Amino acid sequence: MKRPKIISIICIIGFLWIVFTFPGMFSPATKKLGDWVPAVYGFIIALSFISYIGVWHMKRWGVEMYIGVVCVKQIFFLFTDQMGFGAIVGIIFSLWFIITFLIYYRRMSLNL
Amino acid sequence: MHLFLAIIKESVIFAWAALAANRLRTFLSLLGITIGIFSIITVFTIVDSLEHNLRTGIQELGNNVVFIQKWPWDFGEDYPWWKYMNRPVPNVQEFERLQGRVNTAAAMAFHVSGRKSVKYKNNTVENITITGGSYEYDKVSNFDIAEGRYFTEAESNAGRNICIIGSTIAETLFPNGEYPVGKQIKMGGRNVQVIGVFKKQGESLIGNSTDAQMLVPVNYVRNFVDIRSENLDPYIAVKAKDGITNEQLKDELKGLMRGSRQLSPEATDDFALNETKVISQGFDGMFEVVGLAGWIIGGFSILVGGFGIANIMFVSVRERTSLIGIQKSLGAKNYFILMQFLFESVFLSMLGGLIGLLLIWGLTLLIGDSAGMEIFLSRSNVILGITISFLIGVVSGFVPAYGASQLDPVEAIRSN
Repeated sequence: MKRPKIISIICIIGFLWIVFTFPGMFSPATKKLGDWVPAVYGFIIALSFISYIGVWHMKRWGVEMYIGVVCVKQIFFLFTDQMGFGAIVGIIFSLWFIITFLIYYRRMSLNL
Repeated sequence: MHLFLAIIKESVIFAWAALAANRLRTFLSLLGITIGIFSIITVFTIVDSLEHNLRTGIQELGNNVVFIQKWPWDFGEDYPWWKYMNRPVPNVQEFERLQGRVNTAAAMAFHVSGRKSVKYKNNTVENITITGGSYEYDKVSNFDIAEGRYFTEAESNAGRNICIIGSTIAETLFPNGEYPVGKQIKMGGRNVQVIGVFKKQGESLIGNSTDAQMLVPVNYVRNFVDIRSENLDPYIAVKAKDGITNEQLKDELKGLMRGSRQLSPEATDDFALNETKVISQGFDGMFEVVGLAGWIIGGFSILVGGFGIANIMFVSVRERTSLIGIQKSLGAKNYFILMQFLFESVFLSMLGGLIGLLLIWGLTLLIGDSAGMEIFLSRSNVILGITISFLIGVVSGFVPAYGASQLDPVEAIRSN
């Protein structure tokens, strides 16, 4: 099916967010949190990117993956004590994205 | 699980065959990632090595040691030096008054230092640091003795003309492997007997390496030098007892020092209680800036490398469109095609990253100690390098791979 405009906008915002947050993976602040923290953070970003591609192509697995990544990301932020203002804004945006995705979920394809 | 592993194995074989078939293209595309990983991890390696060296140097000054000095250690922009200028320097009398009265202290030493030349027969070492320390100096300062021994309490109190010399001084004064312990050397025309040699420490970025230092009892130095002189940087170093924090120690020292100097309750302190923590904090800002610069430079290199891989993967998909069509018409699933191209991209990226890491490792071995400090590739940087390469491979290869997996078999076969 044709991709709704709101999904396109959300995906573009998501791609831009990834471009800006990906370098954060090897930032000195992330490195300071521990040897494996940049790796875990990087995986979360890479999975977010893949999930946006899935949503862009109107695939259900994209939405499912996105919800999973958001949950993992919040757990990661809790464990690394990064639950600041930025993280809360992130949660609000993620919830908005998830609600929008779920509205169109039934119209999305089941295939890979 | 078995099926999944079989798919992975087959995907890897396909990816390897594709990369081996286009060697020049493979080499050029992995060069981008190699340079990216090389630049970012090199910067991080240098920053980490610098930081490690500095922190080790600071640690050698003593972590749980408080230094009673005239000047406070402060790295702020507005250092009010005029407030501290007329303060008196700590002296031996104050040190003796404090001894035995500080309940929270495990050890305490008085320290002065100056520069002099030392001589043995025809060999001279010019302008080395001569440190005068009281008996417990070895307890407030971190060093090891490789040959000989430390002063006894009687020798220290009596101000015997004995010394412990640094390894560089020992190598220069006794070049032919002569055993230095027991030899009489000359310090400013006076005979001093060597009773020990410090263990080699290597260069320290904060200049506190014992390699070019000579330690003598402070009671010996006071025979011919005015140890009240500010030029000798006199200070009292106090080490806290186990379980006592530096704050508790400082509180007690503050009260005792104020009493010793007979300061009225409203008068401000005319001494500083310094901690090595302040030096570390002073360097934190510098490392953050250098790390940030490396992060930006390396980030752009990685980005360029990622675009290179994505580009090459798009070309690869286009080149093999008909092959994808044949594979799909023979029953290959979408995820198999996806995995095949994704593995190719991850493989390419990780190969580039590993070459970059190997280059850095080779460079650290090549440089060795010639940089004046130990440069090492840390575990965290290796993990970071491998992770970045892997993720760049996934991110830059996913779009072309997904595109390939979605191709219609009939249209794909007809494409050529």
